[in-house]
Amino acid sequence: MSATSQTIILNSSDGVDIPVDKEVATRSVLIRNLLEDLGDTGEPIPILNVNEAVLKKVLEWCEQHKKDPPATNEDDSDSRKKTTDIDEWDQKFMQVDQEMLFEIILAANYLDIKALLDVGCKTVANMIKGKSPEEIRKTFNIQNDFTPDEEDQIRRENEWAEDR
Amino acid sequence: MSAYKRKTLAGGPSKKDLFAPLRSTQIVNSKPVLPAELIATILDYLPGPDLIRFALTSRRMRDMVYDDTRWIRKLRLMGCWNEAEARRRHDEARRKKLDAPQAKEVEEAQRAGSYADGTLNGATGRQHSGHRRSETLFDASIDDTQQNTGSSAVQKPAPHLVEDGFSAIDLSPKKLQNRLLSSPKDTNEVLQVMSKVRSIRGSARQEYGKIHGALAPYYFDLLITPGQDDSAIFRTFQQPEQRAQMLSQVRTFAKADIAEGGLLREEKVDSIMGIFENAALREFEQGVQAEDVDGDMRQFANVLVTLNGGSSAVDVFIQRSSVISNKRSLGRPTDALSGVSSDNINLQASADFFRRLAAALNEQALLIDRVFPSTVDVLLPFVRRAMDDVISDYVENLFREARGRTLECYLKAVSNTYDQMHQFGDSLKSSKGCKDDFAQQVNELIVLCLDPHVDPYMEKELEYFKMKCDAEVEAWDKQRSQEEASTESLFMSNVTRQAAKSDFLKSFRKVVMMPVNAFPAKSSPSTTNKPGHRSTSYTGSYTGSSLELPSRTGSPIPSPSTPGTRPASPSQRPENLPTTELAAKTAIMNSRLEGIRSLFSIEVALNLIHLGKASIERLAIFAKVGSQSCTASKARESCETIFISLIKILGVRHIKGGFDKAVDHLANYNPRDAVQPSTPSASSNGHSLASPTTPSGRKGVAPLVTFLELVNVGDMIQQMVDLFFIEELITPRLVDPDDFLDAAIKEKKRFEQMLDERVAAGLNKGIDVLLDEVEFVYATTQKPTDFNPGAMGTGSGDVGVVDIGPSETASRVVELLGSHTGMLVGSTDKNVLDVFNQEVGQRLFTVLCKHLKRQRISVDGAVKLISDINHYALFVGSLRQKPLTPYFTALRELSQIYLIDTKHAKDIATVVADAGRYHGVITAEEMYEFAERRADWLVVRRDVEKAMYGIGCLIM
Repeated sequence: MSATSQTIILNSSDGVDIPVDKEVATRSVLIRNLLEDLGDTGEPIPILNVNEAVLKKVLEWCEQHKKDPPATNEDDSDSRKKTTDIDEWDQKFMQVDQEMLFEIILAANYLDIKALLDVGCKTVANMIKGKSPEEIRKTFNIQNDFTPDEEDQIRRENEWAEDR
Repeated sequence: MSAYKRKTLAGGPSKKDLFAPLRSTQIVNSKPVLPAELIATILDYLPGPDLIRFALTSRRMRDMVYDDTRWIRKLRLMGCWNEAEARRRHDEARRKKLDAPQAKEVEEAQRAGSYADGTLNGATGRQHSGHRRSETLFDASIDDTQQNTGSSAVQKPAPHLVEDGFSAIDLSPKKLQNRLLSSPKDTNEVLQVMSKVRSIRGSARQEYGKIHGALAPYYFDLLITPGQDDSAIFRTFQQPEQRAQMLSQVRTFAKADIAEGGLLREEKVDSIMGIFENAALREFEQGVQAEDVDGDMRQFANVLVTLNGGSSAVDVFIQRSSVISNKRSLGRPTDALSGVSSDNINLQASADFFRRLAAALNEQALLIDRVFPSTVDVLLPFVRRAMDDVISDYVENLFREARGRTLECYLKAVSNTYDQMHQFGDSLKSSKGCKDDFAQQVNELIVLCLDPHVDPYMEKELEYFKMKCDAEVEAWDKQRSQEEASTESLFMSNVTRQAAKSDFLKSFRKVVMMPVNAFPAKSSPSTTNKPGHRSTSYTGSYTGSSLELPSRTGSPIPSPSTPGTRPASPSQRPENLPTTELAAKTAIMNSRLEGIRSLFSIEVALNLIHLGKASIERLAIFAKVGSQSCTASKARESCETIFISLIKILGVRHIKGGFDKAVDHLANYNPRDAVQPSTPSASSNGHSLASPTTPSGRKGVAPLVTFLELVNVGDMIQQMVDLFFIEELITPRLVDPDDFLDAAIKEKKRFEQMLDERVAAGLNKGIDVLLDEVEFVYATTQKPTDFNPGAMGTGSGDVGVVDIGPSETASRVVELLGSHTGMLVGSTDKNVLDVFNQEVGQRLFTVLCKHLKRQRISVDGAVKLISDINHYALFVGSLRQKPLTPYFTALRELSQIYLIDTKHAKDIATVVADAGRYHGVITAEEMYEFAERRADWLVVRRDVEKAMYGIGCLIM
């Protein structure tokens, strides 16, 4: 094996080959498992659900976070407090349009990059915080299927959540 | 994923494609849509109100938001969720559902009802769970209103509203303000909202809603209000207790604040709490200084406990306590060492120290009960602190000082302190706030405190014991070699031996049972109760425990060995009766056992055993307390080790050597060498080594007598060891008697075995020697005239007058044998004794036959012979050995052939030939040989032979 074996090639859904450091790529559990199972064949790895733009963005994040310690076992996530605070670099990284943000989240989910998925979800959570139901519907492309009565019932049930 | 449609790439497909218009529409509408699982993940990051807004978007979202686990997680973050309770409720509900599905639906409907209704229902429903707590709080607040007037200057709130500050806050619209200023009844509700949370599956959202509704306004208000005095909590609640309660609740609520910046907000709440805590703590300290126990101290202890468990108040309380700060007044370690000899320690001083400390701590416990609410355990940390600061300091100094003096002093100090500390621990009374295992906790603390001292102590104890024992044995060895030249044999009077022995053992048992460190039993309820009684028993027992044995052969200091000085000690310490009684008896015993002085000393054995007892008893204190702890097992091990080394030193070094020497003596003994030609008058007394002073004039083979005495003493020592083993190791359960693998038991067995072996070996030699002696007696004292009165021809006139009764030789032999066999009775194993006696009887028979064949016996002498034989048979009968009887019956029959008159020579032949008479013990040939010993054999021979062989021919 040559010294360049640390570089692997990813093939995006729109057919673009993207060379990347193995260390960076293996932030994705999906890719790491693939490499472990198949061995390093030197062939491009097809990433079926992610296009070039998003994949590059994701890899940018991976590059930044390649030195992070591996995620600890998060079984106790229930009892531990997680706030939606996001570090500065990630905040800047996530300053993209909503479409891209969702694409990143989907890609992180597909590639199984938990930390990135968390950052994405936190960003979305922060984004919709304080928004009205109507705004939320717009953001997530949700159809309102409530009758006014039902809507009223929810409001009554959760009066405590009003006014803040 | 299914909902997600990728944007078609620009310029990809050809314009002719039929689906092109469709695609272009797709481009417009295809905003990426997140799958449900990802939305769920996002929801995890949303705070409560946002979740509800999310629920308002669509039915699907509502179902997702209403998912119970989401709300349970929030409750869990606040520590308000009790899984066990939830499960119980769930099971109950299911049962109810099975019973009456209708009722369940009603309940559900109620739960899903409006907020206000829910609260009311809930409040009544959970009356039982929240009842106690609310009552205390209510009482406290009443208390406070009564005495609040001048108490808190620092906390004095500014009750007025800062209007401009308020309006500037955009996050607090009018409704919030309204809620903050709700009626006093509601404030009570708010104060208890956290404690009233129920863990019910399916209604976690409602429960969260209640908490949020009650606390969120205060929480956010607290965060945005610049000065804490202006915040809603401080405006709404006047009492420090209420404020503490609210702050504590808000702090908990902040734990569930997962929105952006939540950590910072938590910190802010923490810092506000810190300020409040410091202020309250200052009040508390002032209360401590003013000793205003039921006023400030109590109030602010309550406040601080409500706020955050009150650890800071506890710290201050302990810090300021007189017990810690005035520890010097409780006593100094040097007190325990002054005013006594260098080997002893003044137990009274250390006992006083612990008593004073316990009293002080109990006083504090009462104070704690008055000051602190019963929800916090203040006493245990207090005791822990006292242990760290006061006791370990004291103990360390004490041990160091003691170590600097003598080893013995150190050993005593450690074991006593250990015991005293456990008494101290027992005498502590728990306070209301203590948990049930307070006593156990205290004990653990004590063990922890002494732990570093235990190992070195046990090491030293063992070292000390071995050193002492070695010194003892060595001193004795040395002295004995000095005195060897003048060794004189005495032996114990046969009559009193048994009695003396059992008497001696009885007093030995008494002494063994008397504890060396006579502490009052642990049952004595409190150290403070009877100090006087304790003091006497401490000091008394200590001087007594050194065992004032009259030191003679065994003591390191050689004292004059004249018998008169020996029993001098009983008057020395009349108060220690058992000890000195034993000492006197030892002296008497010793004088009787003079004969074996050169071999081993019972006194040395006694001293060794007492050293072992002292050591083991010191160690037993460690084993007694906390029978499961590793200290106890270590102590037990050490006890065993001491016992083993005791047995080794006693057995191998002391007794075995003595036995070996005695057996040696026996082997080298030759009765002929022992005859003193210079004492012709005492020829009947025989031997120089047999004591001439024996009042009864008994004779004995000196080395054998010595040896038999040795067996006796060995047996006694073995019984002593056995007794000691039972009293010291079995009774306090240091050793399990059924554990045959136990090292101590094995060693004891080995010791007994060794003793038995020595005894057997010695007896083997002893029989040889004894029979040699018998033969010697026959050879030297049996006069030819005994069985043949007419032979000498001197006193032919008194031929007819035959002295009926055994000859002198016979009675001497019987006496000789009797005294020796008698000595063994009760001193060794019955089997050994039986074998010994049988062997003696059998050998006596052989020797007797040999002897008879050497004699010439007349008809007149036959009477003498018969009485001799009867005498022997009587003696043998007294040995109670069945197998021996035929031999001596045969001998009796045999002796009759000498009675037959010369004229009836034919009858002699009949008797000789009648083998049945002798039970096969003596053959006809042998009988013939015996018949040859008749004085008139030459005369009767022809007739006898004729009769015998004639008859024989006839038969043939």
